[in-house]
Amino acid sequence: MLFKGIPASHGIAIGPAFLLKVEQLRHARISLESSAETEQEIVRYRNAISGVRHDLENIADSMGDVVEGRQILEFLLLLLQDPTIKKEVESRILSEMVNAEYAVSATLRGVMEKFNVMADPYIRERVADVRDVGRRVIEKLTGTEKEALKNLDQPVILVAKDLDPSETAGLKPGQVLAIVTDMGGRTSHTTILARGLGIPAVVGLQRIAPEINPRDILIVDGIHGHVIVNPTSEELRYYRDIREKFQEAENLLQQMNPGPALTEDGVRFELAANIELPHEVELVRKLGADGVGLFRTEFLRLIQENGENEEDHFQIYNRVASEMMPKPVIIRTYDMGGDKFRTGLDSVREANPFLGYRAIRIGLDRPVEFSIQLRAILRASVHGNIRLMFPMVTHVEQLRRLRDLLGMVRNDLTAGGIQFDDKMQVGIMVETPAAVIALDLMLPYVDFVSIGTNDLTQYTLAVDRGNPQVADLYDPFHPAVLRQIDTVVRLCHSQRKWVGICGSMAGDPLAVPLLIGFGVDEFSVAPSLIPDVKKMIAVVTTHAAREMAEKSLSIETGLRVRALVHSYVVGKYPEILLDENDWKTGG
Amino acid sequence: MTEKVITVPNKLGIHARPAAMIVRVAVEFDCEIWVESPADRVNAKSIMGVMTLAASGGTSITVSAEGREETEAVEAIADVIRSGFGEEMI
Repeated sequence: MLFKGIPASHGIAIGPAFLLKVEQLRHARISLESSAETEQEIVRYRNAISGVRHDLENIADSMGDVVEGRQILEFLLLLLQDPTIKKEVESRILSEMVNAEYAVSATLRGVMEKFNVMADPYIRERVADVRDVGRRVIEKLTGTEKEALKNLDQPVILVAKDLDPSETAGLKPGQVLAIVTDMGGRTSHTTILARGLGIPAVVGLQRIAPEINPRDILIVDGIHGHVIVNPTSEELRYYRDIREKFQEAENLLQQMNPGPALTEDGVRFELAANIELPHEVELVRKLGADGVGLFRTEFLRLIQENGENEEDHFQIYNRVASEMMPKPVIIRTYDMGGDKFRTGLDSVREANPFLGYRAIRIGLDRPVEFSIQLRAILRASVHGNIRLMFPMVTHVEQLRRLRDLLGMVRNDLTAGGIQFDDKMQVGIMVETPAAVIALDLMLPYVDFVSIGTNDLTQYTLAVDRGNPQVADLYDPFHPAVLRQIDTVVRLCHSQRKWVGICGSMAGDPLAVPLLIGFGVDEFSVAPSLIPDVKKMIAVVTTHAAREMAEKSLSIETGLRVRALVHSYVVGKYPEILLDENDWKTGG
Repeated sequence: MTEKVITVPNKLGIHARPAAMIVRVAVEFDCEIWVESPADRVNAKSIMGVMTLAASGGTSITVSAEGREETEAVEAIADVIRSGFGEEMI
């Protein structure tokens, strides 16, 4: 039986299923959906009762002649096995279709209420015993799952509705062959951690957990997002073969996995993360990124209900920068408009929003509001390694006005005796053909540039990638796009400015060798893509990359460029090996 | 069905410890056993049930059983109660 989900962490695993009900760690009510599930809950409940009985008997034995203690334990044992309570718990599970933990705590709550209203103080005091028994049963219910996971006699494939990031983080790669969940997406934290741990994962399968029985054999294909339950011998043979190939290549890569992103010949590239929200910093640090290459600030617009507030900006920038310290954080000023956050600012309906009132065009039109953001960034710059980046600069005069505005804000701060880093780097996004072609005129005003490949591709090819009728024309491997990247790098390096790339092209495995070849200094990608990009960088030599990049400039179509890179990395980068058919037929 | 009416003879009545003693005897038998006070009728094998009966000293209660060895069961429970659970009698 084949299930299709979201490929979350690459790799192939074959092994027995282990059903984890981690969601039941919370005492909350969980609604069950089938009679198979309720039956399973009753089995879990009964097992928990015998487990607790065993524990209590052991304690009773260890008490020897302490009569009082033995009596208390015997009382607890009677409560534990009370047929009326058992019956109520089981009928709750069946009729309300709830998890055992909830049924136990709901039932015992009722018992305690009954005891509490009794006139006899001897009986009222027994409420504590009921609570004790309840706690033991619930701990047993939740604990056995985790215990069992600790005491496996063979590695398993973990099947769950959902996993908490903390639970994922505690998993050991040797013990857990793969993770399969109903919930989750490509960028959920569990997914990202699974990648970090090198455990293959398929998530978002929606309804697989109830379909799997303990000890079913599963094949998890974390590359395509497929899960095969109880495979045929033919399927097993096929996947064993692929798994072997994958592991061979993987082992080679493992040797250089931790630490900086180095090419095969040892040249270091900056590998940073794009983030949207401040709390992502924690993950970025865990992944060992070299910094935040793009901190989008648009969300601040949403959290500030009463207009722009410098303190709100400052707190956020301060937090991200100090947590990343000493690594750099590139803060991009508001990039509103286009397709993002069209709230309030633009009362006029635009015929072509992507060609309209957006990003610094709005900022320069409303300098008072804009300088609030600039002030906050400057103030935060003394607390970390902050760099400032302006999006959508198309005209040199815009750059001059931005420089003047920034100068005024600096003067204000100085006059007010407020500290800021006066050497803070200032850069621009290059995301329009205008910025590429006139870049030599802009570079004197900036310290660095970062190429936004999504917009650059869209503006260069005049293709709205959101429009399905023309989306197939959208191609960052188009010669016009590649040539512009090459131009930008050459211009920047000739004026001793560094150049990064923060569009989604930076996270495309087939694009990475080309970008290295063009000489891009920094890659900034979604946190979830960091492990993959690091691996891709590791299989490329700078010499080969340069050759490929140079060759790509005279190739007619994007598809052929992909084929060129593919033929180089095939066999070195296992995911590509398997993705071959996908892009060949898709392209 | 076997039945027997007994008066709770000890001062404190059927509180936690006596309830435990009754249940411990009851679970030895295969049959269904009930204890009934003027207020309620409960399963004699349920500690919660027997406790919540809260039969005080001097209360008249009915022990009944149905199934295998029902006569022996009623007798055994009646004996425990009659003994006053080793406590001070009324």
